[in-house]
Amino acid sequence: MNRRNFMMGCSSAIAAMAGAQITSLTFATSDGGSDDVLVVVFLRGGWDAISVLPPLDGPDRAAYEAARPHLRIPIRGKNAALGLNNQFGLHQSLEPLLELYQGKQLAIVLAAGMPTSDTRSHFDAMRYMELGTPNQNSTTTGWITRHLQASPAKSGGLSLPAVTIDAATAASLLGSPEAVAMRNPREFLLVDDKDFRKSLTKLIGDLYKGDSWLHAAGRRTLATIRLVEQIKTEDYKPAVKYPEHEFGERLKTLASLLKQGLSMKVATVDLGGWDTHQWQGEHGEGYLAELLGQLSGGLAAFYKDMAAANLTRKLNIVVMSEFGRRLAENASRGTDHGHGSAMLVLGGNVNGGRLYGTWPGLGAEQLYDRADLRATTDYRAVIAEILKFRLKNERIGMVFPGYSLGQPMGIVRG
Amino acid sequence: MPEQPQTTLSRRQVLGGMAVGAAALGAASGCVPPGAVARSGPKDLPALPPLEIIALNRMAFGPRPGDLEAFRALPGRNSREKFVAYVEQQLEPARIDDKECEARLASLKTLGKSLEQLWREYYRQVPEGEKRYETVYRPTDETKFATLIRAVYSKRQLQEVLADFWHNHFNVSPDRDERIAPTFAHWDREVIRKHLLGNFRQMLGAVATHPAMLYYLDNATSSRAGPNENWSRELFELHTLGAENYLGVKRQRDVPGFAQGQPVGYVDDDVYEATRAFTGWRVNDNTDEPGMSDSGTFHYHAPDHDRFQKTVLGRYLPPDQAPTKDGNDVLDALAEHPGTARHISRKLARRLIGDNPPQSVVDAAAKVFHEQRKAPDQLKQVVRTILLSEAFAQTWGDKIKRPFEVFVSMLRATNAQLNPNKAGEIMWLLWQLGQPLFGRIPPDGYPDYKEAWSGTSSLLERWRLAQGLAGDWWGEAIRSEVVKQTPTRKPKEVLEFWVRRALGRPLASQSQTAINAYMKEIRGGNLTEPLSDEDAKWFIPLTVAAVLSSPDFQWR
Repeated sequence: MNRRNFMMGCSSAIAAMAGAQITSLTFATSDGGSDDVLVVVFLRGGWDAISVLPPLDGPDRAAYEAARPHLRIPIRGKNAALGLNNQFGLHQSLEPLLELYQGKQLAIVLAAGMPTSDTRSHFDAMRYMELGTPNQNSTTTGWITRHLQASPAKSGGLSLPAVTIDAATAASLLGSPEAVAMRNPREFLLVDDKDFRKSLTKLIGDLYKGDSWLHAAGRRTLATIRLVEQIKTEDYKPAVKYPEHEFGERLKTLASLLKQGLSMKVATVDLGGWDTHQWQGEHGEGYLAELLGQLSGGLAAFYKDMAAANLTRKLNIVVMSEFGRRLAENASRGTDHGHGSAMLVLGGNVNGGRLYGTWPGLGAEQLYDRADLRATTDYRAVIAEILKFRLKNERIGMVFPGYSLGQPMGIVRG
Repeated sequence: MPEQPQTTLSRRQVLGGMAVGAAALGAASGCVPPGAVARSGPKDLPALPPLEIIALNRMAFGPRPGDLEAFRALPGRNSREKFVAYVEQQLEPARIDDKECEARLASLKTLGKSLEQLWREYYRQVPEGEKRYETVYRPTDETKFATLIRAVYSKRQLQEVLADFWHNHFNVSPDRDERIAPTFAHWDREVIRKHLLGNFRQMLGAVATHPAMLYYLDNATSSRAGPNENWSRELFELHTLGAENYLGVKRQRDVPGFAQGQPVGYVDDDVYEATRAFTGWRVNDNTDEPGMSDSGTFHYHAPDHDRFQKTVLGRYLPPDQAPTKDGNDVLDALAEHPGTARHISRKLARRLIGDNPPQSVVDAAAKVFHEQRKAPDQLKQVVRTILLSEAFAQTWGDKIKRPFEVFVSMLRATNAQLNPNKAGEIMWLLWQLGQPLFGRIPPDGYPDYKEAWSGTSSLLERWRLAQGLAGDWWGEAIRSEVVKQTPTRKPKEVLEFWVRRALGRPLASQSQTAINAYMKEIRGGNLTEPLSDEDAKWFIPLTVAAVLSSPDFQWR
């Protein structure tokens, strides 16, 4: 199937649907599925990867200090960057993740992003990334939707194959009828009241007892509702204390779902607020430092919670953002939309404790458009490796039309 | 509140449902994983209802009180003849008195404004500040409210069904660009509504020159120095020939029929050549460039136009044609192509009949589309052909209502009153259902396959909506007052009344059994004794919600 087949859209893609149907049937009869779960954490707004991984030495440090007289992260003293090696540090707000990096569970991909797209629009960049089709925002399915279509089917049992911990499903799940959005399982109910709900559930079950496709769809929906109903998140006792913010709450909800043993394949969680055009904070503290603290605190708690249940072996967390930010700070002590970013990969089968990707450098001639960190690693390469080696999806060309995985970087064991 | 018996539900419990809060949005948009829902065989489909029920659920957004009676009072000796009369009536919307509905729109002041007014008052002259966004989006918001109000109350129901169809066919997302939003009221009025029973070529011309589309698909910035193929690509793939006539990467001359000037389909080179033909088709949005004004209207900017020769769909466009002639030649070629006739006819039949309309209907409609391509009422003739086909009257249940149809048909069945000044408070319900009005970002419009709308979140949200509407959870914005409307207090008669109202036909026996058992349970076994006023307050809304939640109410 070529790129154009995918672009056709479902309003007319009868042929493409028929083609894909054969594929999923083929897989349904084959074995060799994977238990792994992919958790995609999307940082909305474009995170300042240069502050996340400040250069420590050499010409990059000089270029960095010159471009960011106020925003630069110090090398020593208060709020000094945590050294990863001689070249790069980690923002001190990410300290909770340092242990995971040193424990080889966390890998960092430098200068990741969309090398094939020039856009600096949030709207387009997020769309491109989540649909999995850079420079095309009219694709009618998201990359995770296509991954679910392409990957081995599990037989039997109830499952929540794809969940977004939010009010609406992520664009990466566009067009997936199996995807469920919930901020909290408590909201995925027919009605609040328990007694009333019982009567109503019985009514719906009785109404949809018939033979038609609609009756079958109604029963499937009811089964999912009942499944979610049994999840007692309010009674959930995590193994660690989660930080008290929305992101922490969402990850806690996700942990409670994952620990139910549901055959979940993919989950998405967002953390917004990264569009730091002004006052992002100086001397390694302030707004961005706090936001990074939320990210690292939430992730570290989630990871430890999952580790306590011995579940990290099947866990693959990817942290990504639509782009990075400009090297030079602006007059409002913030940074404008840039290009290359950074990705984090966290999990029990990650070859962590290493930096991946090619560092393009911060010299004027090395920058993208003479202004931004270049994107040297395609975000699709990182995801494709995980899909192929951990989630056992061989059909990368279906997930990312027109893209093929080259020499793997070896971020995960497979 | 008096104590309720153990087995019945209190009003508090019923109303308590509303506390569930804004939750899961349906994943019900976009493509479907093939095989997610098994393709249905005929034996799995529900029984064929009377013709008036089919008509009112597919040429209209379901029956409102009085609609079935009005249908049956139409001239004709049998339901077929009455149906033909109904089709003809609906094909002449201007002759239908719709003052009652129009009166509901009186407070929406942007609907009648000219493009220049909208551009000036809702875009160019809007000061910066907190309220800017609200003002810029007011014409879009009012169009949304008007669309909902008309769908619910207009007697020109077919017009509203077709407006929904064409808005999706020529999808524009006002959220894409701040300059689209102020012009959207004009787009709805002068592009979509003006032509929906008219001539396709004229509609296409209006689409291609409207700022909403010029911005949405980037043609406004396409120039000979920096061509942008977005508009041309979708023009071929979605608006006219359709992907079914796309032959991929191939030389134009290798397409069968090319030598005769009638290629059977299009290739990438046609899209690129068409892109060149539309360069310079812009919007008057600045006064910096010579020859331009800042009025928001269409502008052909000759300096941006690629003046050299092009070949599109086997037609040779010589260099230096008159202004806009290159683009209009492309639109001519597309509108006249038999592939376009088939693509549009199939889409219309899919909307008006079912997901898999018989090829014979598509062929018959396409024949009319092609033969009548110069007629001012071409689309009316095409729609008539589909509606009067045997398949229209013989097909049922190959589709369910999309969320917008679910919402509107529930409002119609319950004769709910929408407050136009509070409409903004309930538009999120459509978002919750997975189909916000004009909220489709990709240019393909909302999908029109049942699989897209029968996913987990989509069905759950319908069932919740039924509880909310029947229970009047949304205060002043929507009042259904089903208790007040119910002329009886006998439980069985309550059900009969609302089945007649919402469905116009008996429930399927499975549904009847289910709802009977439910009524018994919530009423503590007693279905013979009349309801007290206090009991009626919760029993009737629950019964209405049960009917609206049934599969019977979802079919179309």
